[in-house]
Amino acid sequence: MEEVKSWKKLLEAGQKVTESNRKEEERIYPLRREFNPVAPDIAKSALKRDFEVGLVYPVDESVEKDRELSGLKRRPPTAHLFKEALERKRKILEGAGIMKEMGYEKDSGKFKY
Amino acid sequence: MKKIAGNSNIEVIDMSEEAHLNQNQHPHQHQHNHQHQQTQRQKYGYFLGCVMPAKMPWAEKATFLVARHLGLDFDYMKETVCCVRPGVWKPLNPDWWLILTGQNLATAEMQKIIMVDSCNGCYISHYECLEELKGEPEKMEMVNRALKGAGLSLRGNLEIRHFLEVLYEDVGIERIRRSVVRPLKLRVTRHIGCHARVHGDRLLNYFDEVLRATGVEIVDTPYDRACCGLLLYLSDPATSIFRRAGIKLERAMEEKADGLVIICSGCYDQFERAVRVYKEERGVDLKSPVVHLSELLALSFGYRPEDFGMVYRRPIPVTGIIEKLKLKLKEEEGGR
Repeated sequence: MEEVKSWKKLLEAGQKVTESNRKEEERIYPLRREFNPVAPDIAKSALKRDFEVGLVYPVDESVEKDRELSGLKRRPPTAHLFKEALERKRKILEGAGIMKEMGYEKDSGKFKY
Repeated sequence: MKKIAGNSNIEVIDMSEEAHLNQNQHPHQHQHNHQHQQTQRQKYGYFLGCVMPAKMPWAEKATFLVARHLGLDFDYMKETVCCVRPGVWKPLNPDWWLILTGQNLATAEMQKIIMVDSCNGCYISHYECLEELKGEPEKMEMVNRALKGAGLSLRGNLEIRHFLEVLYEDVGIERIRRSVVRPLKLRVTRHIGCHARVHGDRLLNYFDEVLRATGVEIVDTPYDRACCGLLLYLSDPATSIFRRAGIKLERAMEEKADGLVIICSGCYDQFERAVRVYKEERGVDLKSPVVHLSELLALSFGYRPEDFGMVYRRPIPVTGIIEKLKLKLKEEEGGR
């Protein structure tokens, strides 16, 4: 399969926000039963942003500038502007046990596995 | 109707003129337009999603110009979160997808709006979630249990519309055609996106008809209905980039098309990624820009590229389109 570097970077970004090094653990404990974490590494960086921002893409200074030049308000009226929407999302994620089952720890911003 | 090109303060069509236009219509259109007028009085809340506000300011602005030009009571849906991406969340856990999508549905219900999506992924997530919850009361109960902790509740008393439905069914193709004051002499390829075709070809046909109304020539290609490869990217990036999004952009170049027209922000995200990968990893510059249907509508309604920031945040410059527009304007001025 032809390599796509940006995909590899995305995968590495997912591994970077994961506490346990599964490859290393597999080497140390070869008889341990194989375990598939809920969140795949390739999707983790986007999931992390979703948990932290409420949306997949952040709106930074450069985006704000281009929004203004396009005749829009700098901050869109999404969770980027309304932090209460993000708070509600976090409450739902925690209340429904989704973060726990995914092994996501909001304080460290990392997935346990 | 008040002309607006060059003026950032948008004039909404005068309803007295609308009444005048309706007097001149064919009798068989009456019932449809009556229904349309009733719908028009309802408040539309535009759901931005994740990609549009961050990567497509030109599409966001153009969509508002077009919707208000057509006389719709059209504003943002506020306090939104990710739709959430059904292609990612459904495989993780379908109940989680229902619960998290339920937040946007409950917010829209609370805001008493008709929720409008132009991203096919957002549309399908909201629409299918609502249908599933309305059909399965125990799931609705499960979602409400989860929403309660965040102070939200959902009864399912709301409507989800695709922007194409709003344009074609609520506004009507005749009115769109009447609003075109500057037919675009452009040749374009187009990409409708898979999630607009899940429930039949209705949206695909709306897309084509509305696009044709702008005056463009649509160039058919064998890849028009093929997937952009967005979700495939997670598991097979090479096929996703080079055999899905890339092949469409390459074909647009071969056809010397002025652009590839899209409606879906999710697909746009994938095309943007393909442009970057081609450039950074293959040294290839893809030349045909990806443009949103709303941009072409806005231009054909008489707006100028600078009215919606057409040049900003574009991985492929839209210089070719703008040059052609300028040329046409000069010809028009010369002919006066």
